Amino acid sequence: MANYNIDAKKQMTYDAIVIGSGISGGWAAKELCEQGLKTLVLERGPMVEHVVDYPTMNLDPWDMELREALTPEEQQKHYKGIRSGFIGKSSEHFYANDQENPYTEVKPFLWIRGHQMGGRSLLWGKQTYRWSDLDFEANARDGHGVDWPIRYKDLEPWYTYVEKFAGISGEALGLPQLPDSHFLPPMELNCVEKEVKNRIESAFPGRHMIIGRVAHLTQPLNGRGQCQYRNRCSRGCPYGAYFSSNAVTLPAANATGNLTIRPWSIAQSIIYDEASGKATGVRIIDAETGEWLEYQAKIIFCNASTLSTTQILLNSTSNRFPTGLGNDSGELGHNLMDHTYRIGALGTVEGFDDKYYSGRRPNGIYIPRYVNIDEASRSDKFVRGFGFQGGGGRGGSQVAANESDFGGAYKDRIVKPGPWEFFITGFAECLPYHENQVSLDTESTDKWGQPTLAIDCEYKANEKALNRQIREDAVDMLERAGLKDIVGFDNEHEPGYGIHEMGTARMGRDPKTSVLNGTNQVHGAKNVFITDGACMTSSSCVNPSLTYMALTARAASHAVAELKKFNL
Amino acid sequence: MDRRKALKSAGVLAGASLAMPSLLSMLQACKDTPRLEWQPLFFTESEARLVGALADAILPRTDTPGALDVKVDLFIDTLVARAYPPQGQEGFRAELARFEADCRESQGAGFADLDEEARREVLSQAEQEAGTFNRGVWGTAVGEQKPVGFYRSFKSLAIWAYFSSEEIGENILSYDPIPGAYHGCIPLSEVGNRWSL
Repeated sequence: MANYNIDAKKQMTYDAIVIGSGISGGWAAKELCEQGLKTLVLERGPMVEHVVDYPTMNLDPWDMELREALTPEEQQKHYKGIRSGFIGKSSEHFYANDQENPYTEVKPFLWIRGHQMGGRSLLWGKQTYRWSDLDFEANARDGHGVDWPIRYKDLEPWYTYVEKFAGISGEALGLPQLPDSHFLPPMELNCVEKEVKNRIESAFPGRHMIIGRVAHLTQPLNGRGQCQYRNRCSRGCPYGAYFSSNAVTLPAANATGNLTIRPWSIAQSIIYDEASGKATGVRIIDAETGEWLEYQAKIIFCNASTLSTTQILLNSTSNRFPTGLGNDSGELGHNLMDHTYRIGALGTVEGFDDKYYSGRRPNGIYIPRYVNIDEASRSDKFVRGFGFQGGGGRGGSQVAANESDFGGAYKDRIVKPGPWEFFITGFAECLPYHENQVSLDTESTDKWGQPTLAIDCEYKANEKALNRQIREDAVDMLERAGLKDIVGFDNEHEPGYGIHEMGTARMGRDPKTSVLNGTNQVHGAKNVFITDGACMTSSSCVNPSLTYMALTARAASHAVAELKKFNL
Repeated sequence: MDRRKALKSAGVLAGASLAMPSLLSMLQACKDTPRLEWQPLFFTESEARLVGALADAILPRTDTPGALDVKVDLFIDTLVARAYPPQGQEGFRAELARFEADCRESQGAGFADLDEEARREVLSQAEQEAGTFNRGVWGTAVGEQKPVGFYRSFKSLAIWAYFSSEEIGENILSYDPIPGAYHGCIPLSEVGNRWSL
């Protein structure tokens, strides 16, 4: 396999340090290494080498003693994360240990973390959509938050650049609010999804239902295999068919010979030199030995994931920055956002009992935003908007368990596929509120003696109005599409469930109101770049990961150019 | 732990000694009952027999294997032993006892000792009373879930254990570990039974 250089003991000085190896950190590593920079990637958890360290990737349910169930010890280990409903035996090792990594919920907040090489790029939903100027102009238009310092045209070439390498499958639609990507062939809708699509699109002119745009290969790319439709993604993919740092960016970075990875390295703080006005390196705690070490570099990319990045910045205090690196504006830690989630509708579809599908498609449908996209679609109840994800399939064993029957004939019947069901669930944009914030909780320290993060965040009136509309529209669409037994649902929940944390070190035009400039550099420490979710100025209703990739590649290119001009 | 256990069994014995007739009938029933062919990790022998009898009544052998053929009872025992926290284990035990007590009250004998007709009567009644699970999206039930009776939970557990067993998962359900492609609309007749994975 890849033979990573993990011996960072020999060398304490690099051209660049990247903190974190998830989606954005992996991209930073690849771009910086490919442009010739000796780069150290710091990862707080263990190595997870592509394929080699995917222990459950080929297990069938019966290969696991408890199948997907967790032991009480494992349930305790994930006592917060388990709320997400995503953590089972086959992937629990890729979710962070909540007991060893405490955080304080000033208000309820679910913080899902992946502490290993590749981070949450092993676990993400892979839905990949470009943002548009509807998003980048949103704050300026309605006055919430500050204006983004960039527009779609600034990012457009970088979207194309990362898409060509990551591999995004999907269908072009030509919608201004959801620009098309550089696409591999789309995955297929199933018969019920096609029917529902036709009915919704004819009942609601201007609404569209498409197959999800996803970071899954539908044909081979750069030596990676195409999706085999096993839908075991969160265990790690032996074919490298979905985009993860482990399968895609880190091997590319490693191929340059410029990469060193240091696992078990918790970035404690970024070291700031007042004389030069620049950061000089990163202080780490070795998670295995407890030893403190300092690594030096000319530039630093902090990609620890939204909240961890901000935690590191808050921890990086100096005379110049007494409340955290880059916090001249007082906005560091503020304007935390997520997407609301788990509101929608489901129903059953009749007339397709003799139809089925083959393959387990790791993807569903998407209904792009259709409210507040122009004057005609303007709502007077809320600003911003929402999109839907969802999908159709034939009912599982829960349907069989609910059926009021038992015995031989029943058993022989339930081995047949259940009724067709179809659901949609909304993802709504959240506004950037100054008071939705994180801070260091010095009262509560972790096992390395470091202050933990206190998260104080809640949804407010605009998000709640969006959620009401989501539910209403979801039921309406399924009714007009002729579904039966429709249930509208609003599993109201705290922020964090969307696992799309954004903000807390936002980009902006004015150093007085933002932490980062238009090329993701920290105001007042220009050789520190933040390109993970922390940098986001607004949240859109669209999944953010593709935008992190594009922002990272763009910032890395800028960093190398500035370095060559001796500006950093 | 041991002290707690000892106190508990003392309590059970004390209770039993006050109810001689049913203890006698229990002992009698035991005499005719074949011993379990396996050693439960958590259940007592009589609990294990009840779990087996319930799973068998819900998913009996036909021309395809039944729950007992694929050791659904053993799996449930392992699951309760290794995946349930202590309160969950005690809760499961209490629910079994309640089910058994109701059964004795309505049928005059434990569920495992009933004939097919009487078992059907008990389960039909349970089906009426046990409520249903809300449907789910991405592994999470939607809406507010009303309490679900033990029978429904047990039935769901038994079906999960049955479907996810190797014999059923590989040979009865349609098993294709590496599909290679997705086809969204094919005749059901090309597949037959539901997909295993």
